[in-house]
Order: sequence, then structure tokens, then C-alpha cells
Amino acid sequence: MTGYDIVFILVALLTAGSAVLTVTSKNLFHAALFLAVTLAGIAGVFLVLRADFLALVQLVVYVGSVAVLFLFGLMLTRAPIGREALDGQNRGLALVVSGTLFVVLSSLIVSSFGGERAAEVAGPGIEVIGIAIFADWVLPFELLSMMLLAALIGAILLARREDGESGEPDDEGRIEFGDEPSTEAGAHELPRGDSQPELTSGGDR
Amino acid sequence: MATTSPPGVGLMKGLAVTIKHLFRYPATQMYPKERPDLPPRTRGVIALMDENCTVCMLCSRECPDWCIYIDSHKETVPPAKEGGRARTRNVLDRFAIDFSLCMYCGICVEVCPFDALWWSPEFEYAEYEIDGLLHEMGKLREWMDTVPPPPPLDAGAVPPAEAADAIAKKEKELEAEAAKQQETEAKEQEAAAPADGGDGKPKKAEVKVEGAGEIDQETYDQLIAEGKSERIARSKAKAAWVRKEKERLAAEQEAGGGDDAPAEKPKAADVHVEAGEIDQETYDQLIAEGKSERMARAKAKAAYVRKQKAKLAEEAAAGGGDDGDGGAASSEAAGDEAPEDAEAAEPKQGKLADVHVEGAGEIDQETFDQLIAEGKSERIARSKAKAAWVRKQKQAQLEEGGGS
Amino acid sequence: MSEVLWNTAASFTAQSTSITTFDSFAVSVVVKIAFALGLFFVVPIVGGYLEHKVMGRMQARRGPVEAGPFGTLQLVADGIKFIQKEDVIPRAADRWVFAAAPGVALVPGMLIFLVLPFGPGVFALDLELGLFYALAISSVSVLGILMGGWASANKFSLIGGLRAGGQLIAYELPLILAAITVAVQAGTLSLVGIVEAQATFMLPGTEINVWYVFPQILGFGIFFLAAMAELSRPPFDMPIADSELVFGYMTEYTGIKFAMFLLTEYGGMILMSALMVVLYLGGWQLLPGVPLPGCEGTGGLFDCGVTGTLLGVGITLGKIMALVFLMVWARVAYPRLREDQLQRFAWLVLVPLALLNLALVGVAKVVF
Repeated sequence: MTGYDIVFILVALLTAGSAVLTVTSKNLFHAALFLAVTLAGIAGVFLVLRADFLALVQLVVYVGSVAVLFLFGLMLTRAPIGREALDGQNRGLALVVSGTLFVVLSSLIVSSFGGERAAEVAGPGIEVIGIAIFADWVLPFELLSMMLLAALIGAILLARREDGESGEPDDEGRIEFGDEPSTEAGAHELPRGDSQPELTSGGDR
Repeated sequence: MATTSPPGVGLMKGLAVTIKHLFRYPATQMYPKERPDLPPRTRGVIALMDENCTVCMLCSRECPDWCIYIDSHKETVPPAKEGGRARTRNVLDRFAIDFSLCMYCGICVEVCPFDALWWSPEFEYAEYEIDGLLHEMGKLREWMDTVPPPPPLDAGAVPPAEAADAIAKKEKELEAEAAKQQETEAKEQEAAAPADGGDGKPKKAEVKVEGAGEIDQETYDQLIAEGKSERIARSKAKAAWVRKEKERLAAEQEAGGGDDAPAEKPKAADVHVEAGEIDQETYDQLIAEGKSERMARAKAKAAYVRKQKAKLAEEAAAGGGDDGDGGAASSEAAGDEAPEDAEAAEPKQGKLADVHVEGAGEIDQETFDQLIAEGKSERIARSKAKAAWVRKQKQAQLEEGGGS
Repeated sequence: MSEVLWNTAASFTAQSTSITTFDSFAVSVVVKIAFALGLFFVVPIVGGYLEHKVMGRMQARRGPVEAGPFGTLQLVADGIKFIQKEDVIPRAADRWVFAAAPGVALVPGMLIFLVLPFGPGVFALDLELGLFYALAISSVSVLGILMGGWASANKFSLIGGLRAGGQLIAYELPLILAAITVAVQAGTLSLVGIVEAQATFMLPGTEINVWYVFPQILGFGIFFLAAMAELSRPPFDMPIADSELVFGYMTEYTGIKFAMFLLTEYGGMILMSALMVVLYLGGWQLLPGVPLPGCEGTGGLFDCGVTGTLLGVGITLGKIMALVFLMVWARVAYPRLREDQLQRFAWLVLVPLALLNLALVGVAKVVF
């Protein structure tokens, strides 16, 4: 039992405990917070395994961005303020799915590394990782970034409102740049005609 | 948009304005440590000159908040002449302003026909209990001492009608007096009787004088002519009347003692003291009593003036007892400190009121510097220095006239 | 015990490469934590005093004058006041999340102080990943703000938390992109290594030593603006926006918890300034190419005596305060941006500019 073992056990317990709380918590916001703790705990596990860079990536990507986006989305949409609970009705189904996944993954790991004791190695330095990604594995890396870019553009397209799609006048640009509102076919009607108050701050009309 | 500057210019302007202010001296007045420099018309608190109040009730009725409480009773004044009609007069018993209701609109001050209500810049009268803000006559009268004199008239301004009348009247009187003076002097020289007024002279304090608002018309006119406010002139003239009365009574007693009365009594009211000095004793005592600094200063100044006047009057009296040249002696005793006192005590030498001096804002630099050094505010120092300049100018003209 | 103290003192004054060189691991840990904590609590107070005074004078006021000589102890007095105040938790609030939020916001700031170099050898840790560590840890504190905004059970707080979340995510991108550009130019992520690289960086084709602010003035501008937005300081204070949202996500907080949020802001100000000093302004160098007295090593930056060390720390703190002054100046001069303008500015101006900056520096790095 070395110091590393003790720290690993503590971190693992924290991670596992918060993971359980994530799925059992009745409050959606609490579940998201426990998810953040779980993700941070995984960063801690990486740290114990001496993978500093990975730990920090885990922190900045998952805790600092993904969990924050979860919370952000919840607050923006249907998170009840305060102590109210919001619970899903698909517990049984979720249990089946996650249980199956757990069995598959753990059997895979045991069959691959079972009984083999991993050698204690210091995580590779940032230089090694950088060279590996940008020299040896540059093609997969670029493909991945293309995929992410496609996902990004897709998300923007989905979120983007087409002209005339919504009842609200899209006068953002007019406020910003002082342009005349669009009068193309299919464009919305202005509620107050020509007597629109001037909100322009720039432009020269 | 009519004019568009290149982007970023506005941002730079904002930075320039703020950095300029960083190196400017802050506008903060460190109030509890430094006195705020209040404008002369500051509406701090309403003060009452109760002598002027005739219980007309205008203020109380006009007050939008109904925060002025007045109680009074009627008194019968015996007829002035034999067989005349007895008159009734209102006597003020209580005058109170509830400053927890007052909204400082100043209507009462505007509406008062007898200048009994005044704005004072005094503002430090906060109380822990709201009841404490109901202030009675005594307190309101105390604030009267903190009312600053009205700002001087602009150079070349037409003097107020009553002042012009008073000047004309005073000129006549002075002429008559001068003639009388010469006569008396001649008589005295003839008589040349050794006078010994020091022994049997009763003390002034023993003589009690009671008056019902009489004033010394001469003093009043003179003060008006000097440009004092009606209020000040009235109160000083009243004091002068009391003093004269006392002296008259004392003289009567003296005469009763068998001594020969001095032909000419110096008049205390004639002695005019104007100085920024304060009576330290009174000041310390008032501070110890917990009065505000401003109040203590005003009262101590008044005490100083009173003492000074009494001293001058005594000196003049002593001199007058010795020989007829009392006025000159007193003027020497008064020294440089108050040259106008000597003039006032010695009206025979020249007619102050005759001399008309017109200035265009010139000030007496010496006086100004001295007052600034004494810690007076610039405004006060300037107005006093201006007065000093006018005084000097008058004196110079008088001397010239005497020489030619 | 006295031996331990002596060793501690000696290791500060001796010609050591870092205060990390202690005989005992335990002592070094204690000293490092004390050092980082001390800096975290003292320097923000100095920065806050600077802000009070500068802001006061720029607004024709005096700023604090009563507490201590020239009001220097005003923030200490404020701290004592905050501790004495009643700790109010709204009835509808989520107690635990509400109570934990200020801590989640504050602790990452403290942790970053561990890697910031304040002088030659004056740093707790020289991580190989120092810069990445600082940026990664600082991204966690937004969690605390979201927690506070949600748990207060108050609509103003919720909107403030939402605005803060959107703003912090939006401005983290240009911030990280600008910082990455510096790492590309320096060829290292270590903060000490970046200072060292600046000491030896010559303008291409010349022998003139310059700091990175010179070739990367664009990056510095982006980092400065993004840092101000990350701290939600005026003119980027929409999450707090006291005229619209009362006090944003801090509305329901009182006493010591409120003080912790405030300390997060002031500590963050010092932190971002310190990062800018390290990334762009040559760390503890007085002038480009001028070695500190008594210092040797690369660019005259290391192995200093007592004088050099103290001077280095002083120079760093001076630069930090100068940057704090710039932030205060901007705060006084400019009004608050509108929320949509803020997002537009981040995504349509700062991010493209940061990408352009990265591309330019990358090309220049290969060419020269």
C-alpha cells in the first residue's frame, strides 16, 4: 500500500460515489453538478496515473466546458429554481442500458489486461504528445477536427432562424447597423410601419 | 449621422478625460474636519429676531407645513402724553418652529414684513429624537447671531431710499452739532474749571435702565448711512439708547453728589468697534458648554465688541472728566486698531457722512492679507478689506479738507 | 524548530534556483502554501486599494481616507465588516449548492498562484504545463458562478448566472487562443520558460532584445480585453450589471460569502495581470536585455542574490499594479456594453483576430 494507492482509492471512491449520485439524484441541476464532480474525479485519476496533460485536458474540456454547458442549458431551459425536483421516468431503461455497457466494458478490459500488472511509468511529456499528434497521427487528428467542424456548422444551421420563419421581426441588424428592414418577399410585416423609432447609433442616413 | 470620426477616437477621448481628472485636485470637502464653504444665502436654519416680531402671524399662516407655533398676549401701553389714549401691543410669548415638519421653503422668511425671520447658514442641529427638532424662541434667537450680513451693494448702486434720507438728515444734524461744539469749546476754555469726575462716580452696572423698544435715533441713522442693515442698526441703536440712558442716570446721580458735571459726556454709542477679534474667555466658556464652534465664535465676537466699547467709553469718560479734550484722548487710546472709532468719538473734526467715496471694488490689501492670515474666508476678508479701503479713502479726503 | 526556521530563511536568501529547494519536503510544502496564500490575500488588497484611490481621483473624489493612513486599511476594515455580518441564506435557496458556490469560484484562483513566477526563483512550482494548468484551472471557477446563480432561487441571480456562463465561455476562447500563440512563439508551456524565452528573444535579423508584447501587440490586446471580460469587470460587467440585475449572481449573498466572491474578482484581477506580465511583459525583467543586479543564468534572470530577488519581485508586482491601473482606467472611462454587443464582439471580432494572430505567429515562427 503506497501513498499512490491510498490517493487512488480516495479519488476512485469520490468519482464512483458522485457517479452513483449523478444517476440517483432527483434534482436535475444536482445531477449535473455531480457529473461535474465525477469528471473532475476522473481528472484526478489521470493525475494519479501521472498523465498530467490528460488530466488538465479533462479539466478544461469536461469540467470547464461540457459540465458548464450542461448547467447553462439547464438554467436556460427547464431547471426548476431552488429545491424543486425534476425527475425522469425512464429509470428502468437507463439501468438496463448502463448495466449492459458496464458489463461489456469491464469484460473487455479484463479480457485484454486481466492479471497483467501495468508497469509504473511517468506520463509522456507534452513534447512527446505534441510530436505524436502532429507528426505520426496527423491524418486522424485532421479528420477529427473536420468532423468537429462539421458538427459545429450543423449546430449553427439547426439553430439559425430562416427569414420569415418566426413571427418576431428580426431587427437585430437594423439596430446594429442602421439598415432598412428587409422588405423581400416572405419578409415579416413591421408592426408599426414607417413610424419605427430610430434606434441607430451608427451609419449615415 | 452628420459627423463620423474614425473608430477608436471616442474611446481615446474617454481615456483622456479620465486621466486628466486623475491629476486634478478632488472636489471633496472634508466636512467634519473642514468647514464647508457655504454661499451667503445658504438655507441652513430659520433664525428669529424676536425684537422685530409683532405677532402678525403671517409666517404661521403662510407656512405650508404649519410648523410655526406662536403664542402671544396683549399688553396695554400707557399713553405717551397726558390725556392720550392707552394703546395695546402684542407681546410675543412663544415662537417655535418644528424643523421635523419644516421643508425649508422659506416662505415665512419672505413673508415676514418686519424682518424678524432670517435664513442662517447654520446646519448642525441634528437630533437623536424627532421631538428635539422643535426649537423654541431662545434657540431661534441664538441662531440669529450666525446670520451673515447681507452682501454689500454693488459699486455705484443707488442707495436704498431710507438710507438716502438718513444720510441727508445726518448731514444737517452734523452741521448743527459742529456749530454747537464750537460754542461749547469756547465756553469751556473760558471756564477752565478743573474737573474731578473719578471719585463720586457711581458704577454703571448699578444703574438699571428699562426701555420698551426705544432706540437712539442718531446712532440708527448713522449706522444706516454706513450701509448697515436695518436689523443691525436697530439693535445697535437700541443698545446705544440703553447705554445713553444709563450714562444719563449716572450723570444725574453724579450731579446730585454735588460735583460739577463735565460739559460733554462721551457717548458709548458713538464708539464703534469693528474687528475680527473674539473674546477668548467667552469663546472657551461656550465651547466648554458644548456650543457649536460657529455659534461660540459669533457670540465671542459680540462679547469682544461689547467689552471694547465699554473700555473705550470708560476711557473717554475718564478723559472727559480731566479736560475737554476727551475725544482726542480716546482716539489715541483706541490706537491704530480701530481708527474709525476715533472718528466716531470725535465728530467735531470732520463729517464722515459728508465725504462720499466711490470705489469700483478696490480693496485694502493690508487688511485683506491680515484677515486671510487670521483664517477668515476669502469672501469675508474681501468685503472687510473693501470697507477698510472706503474708510481710508474717506479719512484721506477729510485730512485733505482739514489741511486746505 | 529553530533549525527549520533557519533553513527556511537561508533557502530564501541563498543562491538557489527556486524556493522549491528545501531540505525537507514537508517544510517546503508548508512554505509554498503560505507563500501562495499570502500573495493571494495581500496583493488583491493592494490592488483593491489602488482601484479605490484611482477610481476616486478620476471621479474627482478622494477615495478612502479614514481607515488607516490615507485609507490604506479600508479593505481590511471591509473584510472585518463582512466577517461580522449575518450570513443570510434565502429560504427557497438550495442550501448546499448556495454555500459551496463561493468556494468553487474562489479556490481555482488560489490554485493558480502556485505556478505564477513572481521573481527569480520566487514561485511555488515550475510546471512543464504551467500555462495550460493556469487556463484549465481558471475555467473551473465559472462553475461556482453558475451554482451561485442557480441556487439563490432568485431571477436576477439566475439571469446573472446565465450571462456569466455565456460570457465566460465566449471569452475563454480568445483568451486561450492568445495564450497559445505565446506558447507557440516561446516553444514551451512553462511560465518560467516563457519568461526565459522572452529574455533571449531577439527581433529577427537584429540583436535587439524585446518582450513578446512587441511582436504580439495584437495578442496582448486580445488577452487584455478577454481577461477583463473573464473577470466580469466594467465595461464587461453584464453578469453583475447593478442597474439591471441588482448584483447578478451575487444578489443574495451577504457577509463572508459575498466577500469571497469579491475576493475572487480582485484576486482574478491580480492573476490575469500576473499572467499578462509573464506572457507579454517579460516577467521580472526591468527592461528588455537588462539583467538584474546579481543575477546570472539565461538573460541574467536566475541565480540571484537577495537584492536581485527582491528587486525582481518588486518589478513583477509593479507591472501587475500597472496593468491593474489600466483595468481600472478602462472601468472608469467606459460604460457597460449591451449583452448582445458583448457576444458579437467576442465571436465576430476577438476570435477571428486571435486565430489570425495565431496563424501569423505560426508562419513567422517557421520562417524566421
